[in-house]
Amino acid sequence: MPTITGERSSAGVTPAPPVARRKPRRTPLAARLRRDWPLLAMTLPAAGLLVVFHYIPTLWNAIAFQDYNPYAGAAGSEWVGLGTFQRMLGDPGFWDATVNTLALTGFQLVFFFPIPIALALLLNSVLSRRIRKIMQSIVYLPHFFSWVLVVSFFEQMLGGAGLLAQEMRELGLEPLNIMNNPEGFPLLVTAQAVWMDAGWGMIVFLAALSAINPSLYEAAASDGAGRWRRLWHVTLPGLRPVIVLLLILKLGSALSVGFEQFLLQRDAVGAGAAEVLDTYVYFQGIIVGDLSYGAAAGIFKGVVGLVLILVANRVAHTLGEQGVYSKE
Amino acid sequence: MKRPLTEAAVDRRGFLSLLGVGALATTSGGLLAACGSGGGAGDQGTATQTDKLLQLMPRYQPVELIPPDLPGVGGAPHGYLSYPKNLVQAITETPGTSGKEIAAMAPHWGTVPPALGSNSYYDTVNTRLGVPVKFSLQDGVTYFEKLNTILGAKDVPEVLCIPSWNVAGLAHFSDAVSALFADLTPHLQGDAALNYPMLANLPTKSWLECVWGGKIMAVPYPSDGYPWAFFYRKDIFTELGVAPPTTAQELYDLGKAVTDAKAKRWAFGSIIWEVERLFGSPGSQEGWRKNADGTVVNKIETPEYAAAVEFMTKLFADGLVHPEMMSNTGDAKQLFNSGEMLMTTDGLGGWEGSLATQTAIDPKFDMQPVYPYSHDGTTTPIMRGGGRVVFYNFIRKDLGDDRVKEILRVLNWCGAPYGSQEAELILFGEEGKHFTRGADGTPVKNDLGNTEVAGPYANISGAPPVITPAKYFGQVQSRVDWNNAVTPLQEKDPWEGIRLEIPSKVAALKQPTEDKINDILRGRTALSELETIKKEWLQKGGEEGREFYAKALSDNGR
Amino acid sequence: MTTTTIKRRHPERPVWEEEPTVAGKGLKAVALTAIALAIVLPMWVVFVTSVSSEKAINEAGGLVVVPGELSLRAYEQILSGGTVTRAVLVSTGVTLVGTAFSVVLSVLAAYGLSRRGSVLHRPLLFVFLLTFLFGPGLVPSYLMVTGLGLKDSYWALILPSAINAFNLVVLRAFFMAIPQELLDSARMDGAGEVRILTRIVLPLSKAVTAVVALFYAVGYWNAFFNAVLYIDDNSMSPLQILLRSMVLQGTNPTGFAGPTPGTAVVAPNLAIKMAVVMLAVVPALLVFPFVQRHFTKGVITGAVKG
Repeated sequence: MPTITGERSSAGVTPAPPVARRKPRRTPLAARLRRDWPLLAMTLPAAGLLVVFHYIPTLWNAIAFQDYNPYAGAAGSEWVGLGTFQRMLGDPGFWDATVNTLALTGFQLVFFFPIPIALALLLNSVLSRRIRKIMQSIVYLPHFFSWVLVVSFFEQMLGGAGLLAQEMRELGLEPLNIMNNPEGFPLLVTAQAVWMDAGWGMIVFLAALSAINPSLYEAAASDGAGRWRRLWHVTLPGLRPVIVLLLILKLGSALSVGFEQFLLQRDAVGAGAAEVLDTYVYFQGIIVGDLSYGAAAGIFKGVVGLVLILVANRVAHTLGEQGVYSKE
Repeated sequence: MKRPLTEAAVDRRGFLSLLGVGALATTSGGLLAACGSGGGAGDQGTATQTDKLLQLMPRYQPVELIPPDLPGVGGAPHGYLSYPKNLVQAITETPGTSGKEIAAMAPHWGTVPPALGSNSYYDTVNTRLGVPVKFSLQDGVTYFEKLNTILGAKDVPEVLCIPSWNVAGLAHFSDAVSALFADLTPHLQGDAALNYPMLANLPTKSWLECVWGGKIMAVPYPSDGYPWAFFYRKDIFTELGVAPPTTAQELYDLGKAVTDAKAKRWAFGSIIWEVERLFGSPGSQEGWRKNADGTVVNKIETPEYAAAVEFMTKLFADGLVHPEMMSNTGDAKQLFNSGEMLMTTDGLGGWEGSLATQTAIDPKFDMQPVYPYSHDGTTTPIMRGGGRVVFYNFIRKDLGDDRVKEILRVLNWCGAPYGSQEAELILFGEEGKHFTRGADGTPVKNDLGNTEVAGPYANISGAPPVITPAKYFGQVQSRVDWNNAVTPLQEKDPWEGIRLEIPSKVAALKQPTEDKINDILRGRTALSELETIKKEWLQKGGEEGREFYAKALSDNGR
Repeated sequence: MTTTTIKRRHPERPVWEEEPTVAGKGLKAVALTAIALAIVLPMWVVFVTSVSSEKAINEAGGLVVVPGELSLRAYEQILSGGTVTRAVLVSTGVTLVGTAFSVVLSVLAAYGLSRRGSVLHRPLLFVFLLTFLFGPGLVPSYLMVTGLGLKDSYWALILPSAINAFNLVVLRAFFMAIPQELLDSARMDGAGEVRILTRIVLPLSKAVTAVVALFYAVGYWNAFFNAVLYIDDNSMSPLQILLRSMVLQGTNPTGFAGPTPGTAVVAPNLAIKMAVVMLAVVPALLVFPFVQRHFTKGVITGAVKG
């Protein structure tokens, strides 16, 4: 039987043993650099790539503050300061779309986010190696379907000319209106998203599950903890850092709830239900050739995402979690 | 996450085309107007004064190599009932002189042929051209993003083929044209065009659309100017014993009679444009019209449009439209082909496509365009007209006169019309190598031909459109008859030939308005909302739109 | 041994684990069956449609559930022509090289940022996190890539998308969960950072590394937009570009690509679309077992014990 010398600090069954920490604040910078330079050197290639291929091109987003004309160039285009932002933020349609987006994100946080975790737990609990492996490898396949195909499947099953509707007509019933119902739309798009991506989202949790020390289960079981108590006291604490991390990142992209899925079903339920920020910006900025509007919307989304990440991370810290970045 | 908006834009294109809308939109020249893309660029918008520029046009000198079996009337394309026996060599001199590779970029739909170097068809044509053309063929769906990027980065090839429906969304396109492309006026104005007889053979209406800033900036691939038609399944109509309608009431009754949800059969698919048309709602330039009194109005302000909306609402409410088309998530072509819906809008190109695929598996399959009629059966019906250019071909600036001339000679060669040896080579490759002749002399591509022969040479120039058995199988007569019938009814576009770049405020108004109309059509809001929508539209930019369109007319003395 | 002591006990069930209730077992079976059906049925429909003739598709009114007239035209059409073989090679090469490159760089960076209290790690972490929030426009990215001479270079399909911040922070979270005393004792033994990474951290993180490799590989394999922007030379196109174009067969606005009479019957468009889906799904099915291998339990136990 293995001895448990160091369970992961987050695995909460027993308090983590104190880790001998240096006191970074006391160490002079030069000494810290001397000590940590290998770590810095390891980070630099990736960071360098991002600087070249991401940051330098991102500076171009400054055109959000211009009436940008590529042929006059960024230097020749007129600076309009916050004009584009004023136009964007003063437009009720923009806020309707933002509110819709946030509502859908909120809905999906509750009804989508836990499902990959549950799926990982369920499949992980299958004892038969063969069934487990087969199930694990098929549930992520819908991820490779396009939205057009997913929506089309739902239409063929639940739409007005779909299987369900035809069955109901056979029985002399009035077919249910599922695909064209604005009230039920959040549920519908979430169901579509679950079908398409729950398996894909599961994969990372499978990895996290495999990193939990099995002896913790054994110890808990010998302490008399039942199935559910073990789930609560061993499994979930083991998954918690990953769950919290993904939750925070999800909040960071709260304003990007999807695009194609909503564009496809826009006529079906109306723009009132299906308009999200990305579709709104697409119609107001992209297809009318207004590059500044698109850039301004990108900055808006980024700033909101950043604020949400910072707040969520702070909350995570107060709850004793590590979050995306540690608090020092 | 990364670049969500632009990726998204890609998806939108993909989605349109996957739903079969793309093919329709793309067949119709300037039609995308009616389909989802706004127009314009600068906040101010501009309108080129083309009327004063008629003298700018190339001298029109028709080239008729083979007399047509079924002549088109009033500018409609000619029809040929059989493949010409004696092809004519249209051009004797070799266009290329420098031997220096011409880099060209063009959109492509379908399997990409092997690239230059491993494609014997390219080699054959290039030998005839006397100069190799190296094509970069780009996915037609994402071409818009590609264009926006390379134009913005000012990195364009020597010959750039731009689809007309892409122009509307390209940011500051007028500026791009003058900054990046060569002025072709000195080479093509008036009699100068006679140096390029195949280009002088292209219709003036198409050339008019190639003017930017008072200069000829591009060589057109001409369109026949029929954006779409409303089709019905004649075979199923005959089975059910019904005939195409001649009034709005008949259309409705027909819908009632043939719809049978239990049998999975609905009367209508995509029908909104047809209903607008039959009630006489204006359709030029996204729904603008010049009234007899000289005022400019938008469709949303007209009683004709209100009547069309009311009628449409009834069709939707009574379940006469296929549910998947009501959701707009269905593949219209597929549903029509399988007989789940009996009438739908499609591009004329869609007719060709369906004839090609469906007649092979179902000899009875018969789709026919409905002949135009009006809502009451007495008012003279209108037909929609379309843009007259499919592709614009631009030549890069600063290449030097000799190079521009060489490229123009190449485009001239590629523009040789139906009945020429050149056109056959471009369309089918080399006889014996890429195709063999059928019993009636029609070229039939072999495996190598199917792999290697694809249309880029045809796209970078383009001859006047013709109706041929190769495209229309047994339906050449039907197509020519329909063309000839609708041509005189085509709605006169008062802004024809005027380059309009719509102010972004007006362009951005389009989608929200359409969304609200859609809510009415699909019964989500009351019909009375139309008044509110109109008021809001006027307030939020409709008036600016009116001023813009009115000014464009007065500037041009119309 | 346990199998003999308790009747019908599953051989994989650990000794300390209690037998599930009948209801629990039943529920689980129902859930698993439902999930499997929800995925296998649509897959079946996609597959059958991909091998259906135009006639069968018309009769079904679209997607085909019950096989009718079968035809392999869609696959023949996709796989015929010399360009596909080359495109598969291009995509495979880009995916292999790109994935290796991305995983190495991401692991290095994630490890570099994973030690608590190391100098500058917070600002550096933000360098990565911010890419998650703010994205560059197309034109400046294009100018950068072409400016570096990468137009019509396979590196243009790799470098701009080589680092994914999401993958990086996930790796880092797993690295940080490794017991610190393991690393500390290695440091005291004089091991350098690279040695600690390769000898201790990576062996303990096989599962997450495999998952991240899968994410990167799927990304590279399915990517097409960088190729749209940066690859003008048609002979260099990756597979996705070819497949996307194929789906558009027959939609040429000038009608040019339409078949001429007497040519072989063109595969139905819907069948081609579905065949393209199959071609995306099958590699995914083939690759997953390699990732799955690393989902073994108890890696940390063993290491700690040793």
